[in-house]
Amino acid sequence: MLHLFTLLLPGLIPSWEFFKAIEPSPRVQWRLRASHAQDNDPWQEFRPRPAHLPWWVMLRRLFWNPRWNDTLYLVSLSERLMLSPTAHSEDEIFACLAKNAMAMAHPPAPQIKLQFRLIFVHREGEKIRERITFQSEPRPLSGLVP
Amino acid sequence: MSLDSALRATEILLALAFIQQSAEFMRRGGRESAIFALRLMACVALLSGVLTGAVLIVLVAISLWMLQRFQGPYNGGSDRMSLLILFCLTLAHFMPNLFWQEVIFGYLAFQLTLSYFISGRVKIVNPEWRSGRALRDVFAFSAYPVSEELRGLAKYPQVLWLSSWAVILFELFFPLALLNHWALIGALCVGAGFHLSNALFFGLNRFLWIWIAAYPSLLWFQARIFEGGF
Repeated sequence: MLHLFTLLLPGLIPSWEFFKAIEPSPRVQWRLRASHAQDNDPWQEFRPRPAHLPWWVMLRRLFWNPRWNDTLYLVSLSERLMLSPTAHSEDEIFACLAKNAMAMAHPPAPQIKLQFRLIFVHREGEKIRERITFQSEPRPLSGLVP
Repeated sequence: MSLDSALRATEILLALAFIQQSAEFMRRGGRESAIFALRLMACVALLSGVLTGAVLIVLVAISLWMLQRFQGPYNGGSDRMSLLILFCLTLAHFMPNLFWQEVIFGYLAFQLTLSYFISGRVKIVNPEWRSGRALRDVFAFSAYPVSEELRGLAKYPQVLWLSSWAVILFELFFPLALLNHWALIGALCVGAGFHLSNALFFGLNRFLWIWIAAYPSLLWFQARIFEGGF
């Protein structure tokens, strides 16, 4: 109950400090691995943004934008995982990635393992740098998909 | 705007914003969809003005469940504003007299004003915002731009410097708009335009609808405090 109250309080007395500073920004990368795969399997970015978005799609997204909001939730979970790690954040990222993997045209076999890592992008002087800040242990897809 | 009409307008705008959110949540699938379907139905009841007190209680219960489920906000600031509006509406509904209704609804108006002013204050004390560098970083590497093409805006520092100062000045001086009814209408239009641009460029669509849902509280507050009307 006390925990719920601590979650509620910032909603009732918000800080409103939007974009106080531009912090390093997370990207989620994932890969599917066979049981005895090598560690050099390639990573892929989760939901890379499109090169171009037509104006009518941008307008439509004012009313219907579930995929992007889910992606922003993943950004939030990634930040939480770095600031105050909990099993909830990691489990939620796994669940989202697993659902995405199973929705692919050719879904992987359930015994395949899923792994993700977080890359934080930041600026140093005029250069944009990337740093790997977290790498999960692989988990079998069968345990992640309901 | 009278207190009653402002409360009713807030109920309607909140219900519409929650319907939009709930429909998006339902697309996530799973057993949780049933809870969001219930939330959607409660919003339809809130729109129609039937059993408002009971409906608000149901919405509060679902919001508490969501906080627990997502271990905090799902959609950052928009969820925080959603909670704030919902709790203020619910408390105002159950307050025993007009005085406390006004105090609760006035708190919502106060927080809405702070949401702009504090955002402006934290930006103006930051040299990176004053130089336009922060907004360049938002476009260059933050998670928000909805397309790679938009990242190209980072190459226009003068435009972003101008945009940064426009945002900072609007946010900082927003409270002054309370001094005049028409100035407030103008400021709220600019505010809605600001949220619209954030929704288009950064995909923050939920912020647009939920901030607009809080606007009636400020229209009532301005008339009540600064123009002495009801």
